Amino acid sequence: MYGFHGRLLRIDLTTQSYTWQDIEASRLRAVLGGVGLGASLLYEYAPPRVEPFSADNPLIFTSAPLVGTGLTTTAKYAVVTKSPLTGFIADSLSSSFFALELKRVGADALVITGAAEHPTYLLITDTGVEFRTAAHLAGLSAQETEERIRYAVRTAQGAEVRVAAIGRAGENLVRFATLSNEGRHAGRGGVGAVFGAKKLKAVALRGQRRVAVADTEAVEKIAITLRERSVGPHTAKYREIGTVANLAVFDRLGSLPTYNFQNTPFAQAEALSGESFITNGFSQTHGCAACTIRCERLFQSLSGEAQRLEYETLFALGPLCGIEEPDAVLRAARLCDQHGLDTISTGGTLAWAAECADKGLWPELHATGLSFGNAEAMLALIPDIAHRRGVGAVLAEGSRRAATHIGAEAESFAMQVKGMELPGYEPRSLKTMALGLAVSPRGACHNRSGAYEADFSGQVDRLQADAGRGALVAASEDFSAVLDSLIVCKFLRKCFDDFYVEAAQLMSAVTGWDYTAANLMRVGERINTLKKLFNMREGWRPEDDWLPARLLTEPLSSGVVQGVSLTPDELRLMIQSYYAARGWNEEGLVREEKKRELGL
Amino acid sequence: MDMQASTHSSALSAVILSGGKSSRMGRPKALLPFDDKPLIAHLVERLSRRFADIVVVAAPDQTLPSLPVTLVHDAVAHQGPVGGIYYGLRAIRGTAAFVTSCDVPFLQLSFIDYLVSQLDHNGRGYDVVVPVWQDRLQPLHAVYRRRVVPHLQEQLATQRLRPVYLYDTVPTRKVSAAEIKRFDPEGLSFLNMNTQEDYQAALAHWRTLSAPISCTVELFGVARLTAHTPRVPLVLSAEATLGDALTVLGTECPALLGSVLSADDAGYTSLRNGYTCNINGKDFVRDAHTRLRAGDSLLILSSDAGG
Repeated sequence: MYGFHGRLLRIDLTTQSYTWQDIEASRLRAVLGGVGLGASLLYEYAPPRVEPFSADNPLIFTSAPLVGTGLTTTAKYAVVTKSPLTGFIADSLSSSFFALELKRVGADALVITGAAEHPTYLLITDTGVEFRTAAHLAGLSAQETEERIRYAVRTAQGAEVRVAAIGRAGENLVRFATLSNEGRHAGRGGVGAVFGAKKLKAVALRGQRRVAVADTEAVEKIAITLRERSVGPHTAKYREIGTVANLAVFDRLGSLPTYNFQNTPFAQAEALSGESFITNGFSQTHGCAACTIRCERLFQSLSGEAQRLEYETLFALGPLCGIEEPDAVLRAARLCDQHGLDTISTGGTLAWAAECADKGLWPELHATGLSFGNAEAMLALIPDIAHRRGVGAVLAEGSRRAATHIGAEAESFAMQVKGMELPGYEPRSLKTMALGLAVSPRGACHNRSGAYEADFSGQVDRLQADAGRGALVAASEDFSAVLDSLIVCKFLRKCFDDFYVEAAQLMSAVTGWDYTAANLMRVGERINTLKKLFNMREGWRPEDDWLPARLLTEPLSSGVVQGVSLTPDELRLMIQSYYAARGWNEEGLVREEKKRELGL
Repeated sequence: MDMQASTHSSALSAVILSGGKSSRMGRPKALLPFDDKPLIAHLVERLSRRFADIVVVAAPDQTLPSLPVTLVHDAVAHQGPVGGIYYGLRAIRGTAAFVTSCDVPFLQLSFIDYLVSQLDHNGRGYDVVVPVWQDRLQPLHAVYRRRVVPHLQEQLATQRLRPVYLYDTVPTRKVSAAEIKRFDPEGLSFLNMNTQEDYQAALAHWRTLSAPISCTVELFGVARLTAHTPRVPLVLSAEATLGDALTVLGTECPALLGSVLSADDAGYTSLRNGYTCNINGKDFVRDAHTRLRAGDSLLILSSDAGG
């Protein structure tokens, strides 16, 4: 087999045992690797209606056919489980050397089930699995854990390992805890908390197994082309500024959510803009392993620490919470990273809490001083969330569950879909994105589809809803599913002249199987349908594909989008068009004939 | 981004119909003075920026000032627009013509370019491209292929003098109000004059439009870092287009040339791949011919949104 190992490693934390199992070629061919293989294995290995924190919920790492081929931006892996935040699929991506090492272990996937009795970390090599105590690592950040394990293995065995670990938030089952490796995060959906529930602190990898590709010359040729394109104008934004470049533009276009989605624009957007960060502050550029784009930006806080900052973090811990000072955002981001918290959900939950405080709905918040714009109160609450201290114990549940704790009024402005807090795209002024956020299988997500691209390109009138959006969102989700299963970084997406044609050539060269553009598109549809089938099995209802009440009742009141609104009827129209484009029934359920058609 | 420079099209002509009755105006509309020059001279001057071949169709006894045009006279007077279009198209050298009346002071070249481009819309060959403004067809602001001449001749012979009969007969592309608004939001292209009051109002508007306009370019991302400024004020000619603004921007901020802007040998400047424009935070624009208005903000940003 080319491109894949053709097997997975099953690990049982309860019995401290493991087995290697073959994966049939037909499955790999049908769903590729990454999120596709992850979704497929989750459907198989998760018992129906499994409780996310139970020992039976599988924690699945997947590699992908392009990993290790030397193609730029392909050093990535997926981690898939049933999300404790949403109760549906969580499929998160992370990248860099850990991803390369995962492939070298000799498995296309790790399927971890059971739960350890005591804090444990796994040392996985191409010859087997060691179950090691992690008692001495309790409470440490992911970064500290990574350093300790790497040092310990290096000292004892003279070997280098790559480590993914959780911080305090994961240990304490914060429902939006992250998994981190080398300063990068599998951020959304709470995979870190599933680690914590299994008393699994970290996974360390070391391997030497290589996977051959079918046509080395062809792969090398494509690699050279992509490398050249990856340093062209389509990636200049990422290379020169990073994703923080989005903030000023979004603000100007009326698409930057502020004050818990109460309005847009943000008065201090200029000070928080990526351009200002670059101009005013010391910054460093970093990149993942095997990446020529190098989008990662670290900025120096006033205390001299270099902190990684992405747009989503900047939006969520800045304008969404009414925070104006760049340094406060850097400090908040650092706290989230140290404790292992998803910055979007942290910001979203804090913004919701700030509105509760402003409205006097939650008396216990009074002592914290939390309100929009109060950076010190926000900074104090972040560790409380990770430790589940005081009101932090409620916030650790995410805004949807926390709102249930407070009452119906508070639920109306919990800005989440399926329990996952919204990313930094204002749905009322980005109608295609509004639909994408409503229907995404993993909750409000800006990564599993790029629906916003239609809005920002002028391809559609972003301020108007219409029945054409369903097909656009479905196509965007399918495109993303293929990218996330090959895996290729989404920042390379504009570097293809014809993505499906070129990706099919690439996959044929890597695997030796005959791929065409048409069947790769089918793969994308299959993966998204599979995710939906998983969610249906776990209790998905039509009302889960919906947006928070605020977005459907309050028009935007200022800036270039003053008066722009999104009505329930408009959203319903777009959702129906999405189900129609997918070939699902009017209630959003996958028909039997569609399952047969996709071989599911 | 497709931003081609405007070019003189030798295959296309323009036709100006000047033979109307002007009864309510009380004097020939073609000769109404604007800036001490008859309106028809302005029209010829403006259309000559796009069309090398211009035909003016006059009434049989009408006298006009000396103009660099082919002058033809209706053989039979007052047969309505179909007659004028027929005589005009017979005289053109090109394969198609933009046809206008002589009483429209505010022709928008960018919009005319768009109409011409629609002859081959979606790879289909149309014989007529006609705008629909305020639910009315605008036959005297439309593009016609010369090959419709026999159809017009037959219409004249059978006294079917309404242009719509032609549109029902030959492949016709109707341009919607939404399309028109991209170039001419207020529909000034269709503003004609029938009375003295219309003329006075048009004169007042003419004086406003003739003045240079001020616009602001707002730079985002790499463009801002490259230019070392978030915004650049521009003073542009009255009828400036997006392409014109980018050309002036390249002069004002040469640092942008090569990275964000590219200039061709003719000195015409466009955005490089990877960048896009938005006007006033609302409309994303691709067409270099998009007309700018005083006070517009032109946002230049990465075309790779999100992330």
